[in-house]
Amino acid sequence: MTRAEPAIRVSIEQKVFPAIADRPEHVVLAGVELTIERGSFVVLTGPSGCGKSTMLNIVAGLDTEYEGAVVFGEDTAKLAFMFQTPRLLPWRTVEENVALVLDDDTPNPTEKVAAILLRVGLSEAANAYPERLSLGMQRRAALARAFVIEPDILLMDEPFVSLDDPSADSLRALLIELWNRRPTTVLFVTHDRIEAVMLATRLIRLGGRPAHIVQDTGVDLSPDERLDREKVLAWRMRLFENA
Amino acid sequence: MALENQTVGTGRVGRGIVGSVLIGRLGWTLISFLTLIALWALVAALLQSRLFPGPLEVGAKFASEAASGELAYHVGITLARVAVAFFLAMVIGCAIGIALGVAKGADQFFDTWLIFFLNLPALVTIILCYVWFGLTEVAAILAVAINKIPNVAVTVREGARSLSRDLDEMATIYRFGTWKTLRHVTIPQLAPFFAAAARGGLALVWKIVLVVELLGRPNGVGHQLHIAFQLFDVPMILAYAIAFILVVQIIEIGVLQPLEARVNRWRR
Repeated sequence: MTRAEPAIRVSIEQKVFPAIADRPEHVVLAGVELTIERGSFVVLTGPSGCGKSTMLNIVAGLDTEYEGAVVFGEDTAKLAFMFQTPRLLPWRTVEENVALVLDDDTPNPTEKVAAILLRVGLSEAANAYPERLSLGMQRRAALARAFVIEPDILLMDEPFVSLDDPSADSLRALLIELWNRRPTTVLFVTHDRIEAVMLATRLIRLGGRPAHIVQDTGVDLSPDERLDREKVLAWRMRLFENA
Repeated sequence: MALENQTVGTGRVGRGIVGSVLIGRLGWTLISFLTLIALWALVAALLQSRLFPGPLEVGAKFASEAASGELAYHVGITLARVAVAFFLAMVIGCAIGIALGVAKGADQFFDTWLIFFLNLPALVTIILCYVWFGLTEVAAILAVAINKIPNVAVTVREGARSLSRDLDEMATIYRFGTWKTLRHVTIPQLAPFFAAAARGGLALVWKIVLVVELLGRPNGVGHQLHIAFQLFDVPMILAYAIAFILVVQIIEIGVLQPLEARVNRWRR
């Protein structure tokens, strides 16, 4: 229960993809050891297809066919996951989608949902069905859904991909704001290096075959500096110069 | 000036479209319906046959059957049989369909069975049920349900096969639990398949119930048609047929269509 106890301890000895059709069985991840401190914002990067998402699914408990273990800190069991696609229920309104993830015994659920929708700028769209909204707005709803349960751990799998730059930037700013307001342990997967530097307090790069951790660096930018493009670009140069 | 004219013009066109849509929906149905009646009356007048009564004669028969309470009694009995057989077929068919759609092994094994029952003629099922279980209510309803179950199962199986794994994972992460997942994730995905099965099902069940009644029940619309057939009472056959069509249309417009609209209101 002490603060020093890590939020997640990931130890993946080996993750194998079985043979499919003409593709032989192959080892995706091997020897991945990672200890994540509470309240840190860990960004996981690496070439596409290297196993980042697979690792995230293992941490989330969606993928259980691997050798190793994922151990959460004692009071850090409440998970939220923001997927690559919003994965909202199209037959439920935005408000209902957010309310559904709350436990049945949550006090004042209506107020809670209204507050988070206001924060992500979706108050007007509360009663709209997701498919009537733009992708950017759907992502905001997914973000609201992730934060409304006040998660101990937030897993994010390229949640801002395929958005135009302004939409992606405003969602990132929103994420930073929500995270500053209520620090949560975040594990964020992306292949966008600028996004990685903007968000991370710790940056981990996967690489090689099978993939393992090839770089593990802290990023100590202040919240203001993270919104400064020049500073972010400079950091990216430094971090990825030998990549 | 030009702009003003344009605005006025657009307004008129807009009203014209709304008006013609209204006439289109109600008016065309009415015109088409009246034309059919007129054509019927014309042919009947030309033929002058006892076996081809005109609308007036059929209408009179309809009125007298309705007044005596016979019509309501038999239509009611048939309706009750349809309701029970339909309900049974939907519940059992949906359960089988979901099970087969989710479990691949079971699907492979039972696929042959399903094809067998799909292609079994309705008349064979009815005769066998009556032979094995006697001319009873249970046999009648069982025969109808058995005819319908495979169709429902096949339709719903398609839906269950295409259930979204993405949404399932979402429900797992956010700890929806069995009941919440079923209610908010699974059933809404299957709703269009339930609706398709229900719609096709009702049309089929109606018709089979009549045959079942004709072959072995002492009441119901099918039984009345049977008697009318023996007496060559064509006005009675047509009166019951029309009553029947009316009831089916009322259920279609009053129950099925609003239900479908409600279920689909989230679609773009």
